Amino acid sequence: MEGRTEPSGTPVLEIEGLVKSFGGVRALKGASLSLARGEVHALVGENGAGKSTLIKVMAGIVRPDAMTLKVDGRAAAIGSGADAERLGLSFIHQELNLVPYFGVAENVFLGKPYPRGAFGLIDRRELDKRASAALAELGVSVPMKVPAARLSRGEQAMTAIARAFTCDASIYVMDEPTASLTDVEIERLFAVISRLKAAGKTILYVSHRLDEIFSICDRVTVMRDGETVTNMAVRDTDPASLIRHMIGRSLGDSFPPPLSAPGATVLSVEALARARGKPVSFELRSGEILGVAGLAGSGRSSLLKAMGGATRATGGSMLLRGRPFAPRKPRDAIRAGVVLVPEERRDQGLVLGRPIAENIALPNLARLSRLGVFLDRRAERAKAGEAAASVRLKAASLAQKAGQLSGGNQQKVVFAKWLLDDVQVLLLDEPSRGVDVGARYEIYRIVREMAAKGAGIVLASSDLTEVLGLADRVMVMRDGGVEAILENRGLDQETVLRHCYGEGSK
Amino acid sequence: MDDIAIGKGRKGAGDLLRKWGTLGGFAALCIVFSCLRPDVFPSMGNIRNIIDQAATLAIAAAAVTMVMSTGDFDLSVGAIASLAGVVTVKVMVATGSIALGMLSGALVGLALGAFNGLLVAYGNLSAFVATLATMTAIGGLSLLATGGSTLFASIPEGFRTLGQGTLGPVPVAVIVMAVVVAAVWVAMERTVFGRKLYAIGGNAEATRLSGIDVRLVRLGGFAISGLGAALAGIVLTSRLFSAHPQAGSPLMLNAAAAVFLGATAFREGEPHVGGTLLGVLILGVLGNGMNILGVNSYVQQVLSGAIIILAVLVSGLGGRKRS
Repeated sequence: MEGRTEPSGTPVLEIEGLVKSFGGVRALKGASLSLARGEVHALVGENGAGKSTLIKVMAGIVRPDAMTLKVDGRAAAIGSGADAERLGLSFIHQELNLVPYFGVAENVFLGKPYPRGAFGLIDRRELDKRASAALAELGVSVPMKVPAARLSRGEQAMTAIARAFTCDASIYVMDEPTASLTDVEIERLFAVISRLKAAGKTILYVSHRLDEIFSICDRVTVMRDGETVTNMAVRDTDPASLIRHMIGRSLGDSFPPPLSAPGATVLSVEALARARGKPVSFELRSGEILGVAGLAGSGRSSLLKAMGGATRATGGSMLLRGRPFAPRKPRDAIRAGVVLVPEERRDQGLVLGRPIAENIALPNLARLSRLGVFLDRRAERAKAGEAAASVRLKAASLAQKAGQLSGGNQQKVVFAKWLLDDVQVLLLDEPSRGVDVGARYEIYRIVREMAAKGAGIVLASSDLTEVLGLADRVMVMRDGGVEAILENRGLDQETVLRHCYGEGSK
Repeated sequence: MDDIAIGKGRKGAGDLLRKWGTLGGFAALCIVFSCLRPDVFPSMGNIRNIIDQAATLAIAAAAVTMVMSTGDFDLSVGAIASLAGVVTVKVMVATGSIALGMLSGALVGLALGAFNGLLVAYGNLSAFVATLATMTAIGGLSLLATGGSTLFASIPEGFRTLGQGTLGPVPVAVIVMAVVVAAVWVAMERTVFGRKLYAIGGNAEATRLSGIDVRLVRLGGFAISGLGAALAGIVLTSRLFSAHPQAGSPLMLNAAAAVFLGATAFREGEPHVGGTLLGVLILGVLGNGMNILGVNSYVQQVLSGAIIILAVLVSGLGGRKRS
């Protein structure tokens, strides 16, 4: 805690000692937040710093393990969305939470009493009128009769924003509200924010865009690793020092040393295009770990998915060891030795309800069968046991269901799936997310070992410490394209993060 | 980290009930009926009767277990069974060949099942909608082919053996049932295909990302379900020694009920063929016992529904506890 400046008057909302764990991983470790009446307050931090969890606690979506909360100086509790609303909180979440089949008006008034007409039926005309008025206040016109699913991302966002503003709240919480807005729409949003501020309302503004914070916010709270690091007036700081606060100074985590040096080029990616974002080109060498950094939504996952055949590339080409490589489905990529450890371990990596051994065997069934038809259960047990041992899996038995393991051990099972293969390129998307520190080191060790065996490794991670601790080179992505490719020699987080924010040249 | 906390924490009375409750319920049913009618219910003749009666349902239900293990559903089972019976009789009558007739019926089932799979896996229709539509259309085909009447003229006498004959003391239909159930068990529990079915049922996206052709496997499941339905329809046709355009209709809901009941037995909430067989026997014993007691058949239907709800509730409690 440093540089704390307390605003005058009773805070309109005050959170102290907020603790929250998810399955043994501590997302928030005593975070605090204090909002003054009539201020625009920025909340910043790296991906995974705990901002979203903090907001979900305020919205009553996530129940904290411990927290003291005061609203207008009086002790309060938030156990549900209704509680939050009663306390005068209104939210624009990152996920817009619109009903896709409903029109704009129904979405704007969702959860609020619809205007009633004859026989207590919904008065459609009045509903549309009020919704148009709410949108007009934002200075935008959105087609009223079109289902939300068919609106543009920006129109959807404006609908969600209009919904938040029709609440007569005292605190408006906005989680990345400008992520999908055009410049004109952003300006209108800012105009509304100033009006709200002039009316004595408080705004908590979460954004990755530092320029926005410096143009509209009065104070800023910085979070890092689930804790509140500092809380200061925006005019007393600058982007560089804000970034330093977000990173922190401790690089406590240790990483296993490299076991080998990069060799020949294994994969060349040439102008690879996906549905969104700019085409991407780079080369990956055998035994190399290429870190991919970037803010949320910068296109890291979509790049890895296209390389692994999970989604189809829309253009460009790849050469794998000099031969054309154009996977149309995961199977194509796997056959060529390009495998993906996906971002969402539970949704994409594992069949949670099935035993560990079956999960490890899943990509290797052809090899673990007789005549390609009947399971060779002895071979399956032996090979799964071998793979589990080499990732140092801690489990009661291989018959245990994958869903019963801790996050770290689940991730080890996902790695074990690919150990039986001759892997040319290993694509890792957030390999240590939700993994505790001890298991993390073991996963890093597995990554190093696979590199030493000659695989080229692409490591996409929002944890910069991890990227800098492991990567030979760091590719920074921004808005779906490559912002910079940096040699990891004397590279620091500040430099990487500046590139992430598009401020690399400064 | 607590690697094994969840797994070990769940051994208790509730766990035992979930695992063995369905089998226990089956035993309880048998005991109750035996006590109420000790002279009739537990006799060898009656037991044989129950199993014999259950044969067609067991064949259809075993095959549909495959589709349901991937999380899909097949409403067209009954309609396919009816049409397969009609085709079998028509071809037999036209050619005079029993074998050719049965083969045609079976192939029609396989083809229609594959068509369902095509709609669901490649056309991305929901299984419920797709098979509701094919059920309706196939029902129409059967009515068209028969003109809405029952076919019984000039069926070769030898066709009786399948549904009515015996091999020693064992009915031929029961042998067919045993072979089908065993084949489905091997396919689901001991082959690569079965492993893929279960993986898709657990998490289709993770399975796809593991390099498995999810669509092809789902299509295979539907094709086998269609084949099983056709076999059930052919046995039923032989038993009735006539082809009625709606003879197979009751199979659909009963097969689904048997799979649901079975999914509550031994393993949590996962369809598997052993459970399905138990489900078929529960339905069979229930119907037989209530008939012996002279329970009104409308009341029987209400009780059957109530018992399915009870069984699924008991296993459903486990699901809620987990989350």
